[in-house]
Amino acid sequence: MATAEVLAPLDPPTPEPSLRRRGGVPPLARYLLVRLALLIPMMWVLVTMVFVLMRVIGDPIQAALGGRLTAAQIAERKADAGLDRPILTQYWEYISGLFRGDFGTTLTDNRKVSDILVVNGAATLELALWSLIVAFAVGIPLGRLAARYRDRLPDILLRLFSILVYAAPVFFVGLLLKLAFTPFGWPSSGRASISNELILQDVRPRTNIMIVDAFLWGDPAIIGDVLKHAMLPAIALGLLTGGVFLRLVRVNLLQTLRMDYVTAARARGISERRVMNKHAFRNALVPVVTVMGMQVALLLGGAILTETTFEWKGLGYQLSEYLIKRDFLAVQGIVTLIALIVGAMSFLIDVIIAFVDPRVRF
Amino acid sequence: MRIFRRSTALIAVSALAGVALAACGAGNNSSDDAGSGSGIIVGTTDKVVSIDPAGSYDNGSLNVQTQVYQYLLNFPAGSTEPTPDAASACDFATPTTYVCTIKPGLKFANGNDLTASDVAFSFKRVVAINDPSGPASLLGAMESVEATDDTTVTFTLSAANDQTFPQILVTSAGPIVDEETYPADAVMDDDAAVKANGFSGPYTIAKYDKNQLAEFKANPDYDGTYGPAATKTVTMKYYAKAENLKLDIKNKDIDVAFRSLTPTDIADLEKTDGLKVNTGAGGELRYITFNLTTMPGDSKEQKLAIRKAMASSVDRADLATQVYKDTFTPAYSMVPDGQAGATEAFKDAYGEAPDADAAKKFLDDAGVKTPVNVKLQYNPDHYGSSSDQEYNAVKRQLEATGLFTIDLQSTEWVTYSEEYNADAYPVFQLGWFPDFPDADNYLSPFLSPYDKEKSGNFTNSHYNDLDTEFADPEMTKLLDSERTDGDQASREATLKQIQDRIADQVPYLPLLTGSQVAVGVDGIKGLDKTLDASFKFRFTSLSK
Repeated sequence: MATAEVLAPLDPPTPEPSLRRRGGVPPLARYLLVRLALLIPMMWVLVTMVFVLMRVIGDPIQAALGGRLTAAQIAERKADAGLDRPILTQYWEYISGLFRGDFGTTLTDNRKVSDILVVNGAATLELALWSLIVAFAVGIPLGRLAARYRDRLPDILLRLFSILVYAAPVFFVGLLLKLAFTPFGWPSSGRASISNELILQDVRPRTNIMIVDAFLWGDPAIIGDVLKHAMLPAIALGLLTGGVFLRLVRVNLLQTLRMDYVTAARARGISERRVMNKHAFRNALVPVVTVMGMQVALLLGGAILTETTFEWKGLGYQLSEYLIKRDFLAVQGIVTLIALIVGAMSFLIDVIIAFVDPRVRF
Repeated sequence: MRIFRRSTALIAVSALAGVALAACGAGNNSSDDAGSGSGIIVGTTDKVVSIDPAGSYDNGSLNVQTQVYQYLLNFPAGSTEPTPDAASACDFATPTTYVCTIKPGLKFANGNDLTASDVAFSFKRVVAINDPSGPASLLGAMESVEATDDTTVTFTLSAANDQTFPQILVTSAGPIVDEETYPADAVMDDDAAVKANGFSGPYTIAKYDKNQLAEFKANPDYDGTYGPAATKTVTMKYYAKAENLKLDIKNKDIDVAFRSLTPTDIADLEKTDGLKVNTGAGGELRYITFNLTTMPGDSKEQKLAIRKAMASSVDRADLATQVYKDTFTPAYSMVPDGQAGATEAFKDAYGEAPDADAAKKFLDDAGVKTPVNVKLQYNPDHYGSSSDQEYNAVKRQLEATGLFTIDLQSTEWVTYSEEYNADAYPVFQLGWFPDFPDADNYLSPFLSPYDKEKSGNFTNSHYNDLDTEFADPEMTKLLDSERTDGDQASREATLKQIQDRIADQVPYLPLLTGSQVAVGVDGIKGLDKTLDASFKFRFTSLSK
């Protein structure tokens, strides 16, 4: 083993100094700058699409208040909201508002969208994090297991499982989990018991991330209660991504195990366990990181259904509420933020990949 | 790699710790809610638009306002007679001036005095702010309001002897707010309203997470219609989905489920041990509207015959039982049963059960060719999820007579609200929830002279449209009479004439009226007292 480590530098070769710079800019910095430069038009396209779509589907004032006000009152409201002005003027105000962190005010309950984003966004963030933990906990070890037992019974069962959890609608999985666990006293909805939610309202500073607030309060019973409430929604949403991770890890691990450097490692007598752990598995995780960015979008989409199913009052729940009320100004704000989060996550993943996999820098 | 291993280990340890902690808590009822003993937890799917009365006119907000604000007049449990609340007395000083005297020594929970000036300020700001979600439209009858002195408020009304005005003081337009903390020209956001503590009702809000949780504490200084609170702490839990509300009341995680369980859920909960389904007078009305200008029929007479034939063909009892599991009851008038002055005019005119022969006679007498093609529109997302079943049942009932061919269509509310106002639908579904428990509130909005600008007849039926052959000056006269008649007996006689006239003209076809339903766990008392015709859910009545 010691011989092998001396003889074979199995990690990808270090680039030649001549490749490190083009025009004096280090490759990593250049890569990040290019990604950042691409992020700006991507964000612009996203927010513009949201703006245009919200107007294509109809007049937001009429949609929210139609039937409750006369035509004259509707016209007055439109003027108040600036919707009677030229579309380009509205667009400019929308974009400049975004730069100021002003996402507008909801039509139906006069709330600042930015306040909704802070309060409900924290809940969604918490759910997304719990779901990612479940996705990693399920997808990575099981993917590895499936690769190890390729084409044997465990592999076949795990592949079936991954298809099932990926294909099953998240609200359906949620419903099944509720039906299965509620009879045993497991909480079916909410982020904590009602009494504990009331207690956590007194936490200062309040983060709106329930588990953080519970830790700040410091009562183990409340921490347990919060975790208990997070379990079913996290599993419902996490399995969706976990199924994707499982297949990715399996496929990538199988591909990696066929690479020349793995064959070389085996030829040098390195144990199969070490080949798997040190050389193959780590590299097989790189594509998982790549896909993680896309999974964030999937998680946020899934959160709409999961949050409603489990009374998890996050952005997804709030988005569905405002959609029902036809409050398209609120919808516009929330969708814009989600689009920005997805864009930012995409950039973040690019950065992580640049560090994990040096090849992408060149 | 080491970092990776460390991170993995950290995640694994955190997850394990989480599972362990959760498992420890799994059987631990120390933080369970309903069993905590001291307070009552009420669950609802209603949403709060705004605690500030100037910015809301909806059930969810009214429910909070009922607990925390005082009104000049209010309804005591079991009554629809406005009774002094913050006022010691209210009466007409002249036909167009209504004067209230405020009780001395009233205070808001924040310590500020509640005076006549606060009362006048509260009404003025509702009108001035005129929020689209607010109740300004309810104060159309109020020309002005002034605090004559510290204890006297004088309302000047636009019509003489308006008998509905005392009722309007009890609606969403009536809560009294603290002049020193509420802005005069803008709706106050909920967190600021809670912080300001400008409440003088039976409860104050101790903790508040909008549309998630609210904790109400009894206000020891409250001096008003409802009397002292039977329970010191009431928590309101807001649900996104009726199924979760049902699950929590079934598991007894909450004490009361109030609005809005589906008919199927209610039927299921009725069979659950340890729960009691309480029903009370309901005010919601479901009805069909005829656009008199575009509905089928070649002449005014033929159109009337078609409307009468439809009135003879629908089976309300079947709709109530089959679709709504008896959570709705048949409505034989636009004024639902339980309201003072309500009659059963449609039952008297067309019978209780469908009568195909009578329907055929109406059509034959007017020379209408059968089957009559009717385009019937309904809305699937604004009047409850059962509208689909309801209108399919109506279609079946009408077609069963062999006199009608129904082209049933549904449209989402956004488009629906635009199109029915643009005369796009000849026959269509609408619903109504009253602003205050008075027969006039089920009549004037539907029958007043047609005025698009003032939205007098909001249904766009063109009934009493002065520019058409459907103008009805007699109806206008009757409405004016009932609104200004201080004598209950003669007013009810006028109300009967109006309801008979509706049954004769059939601009609307009332179908069903809803009951209020609240499900309580065994041991909860007072639900029967609060589910009355005033449509105010009073926490003060609840105890366990």
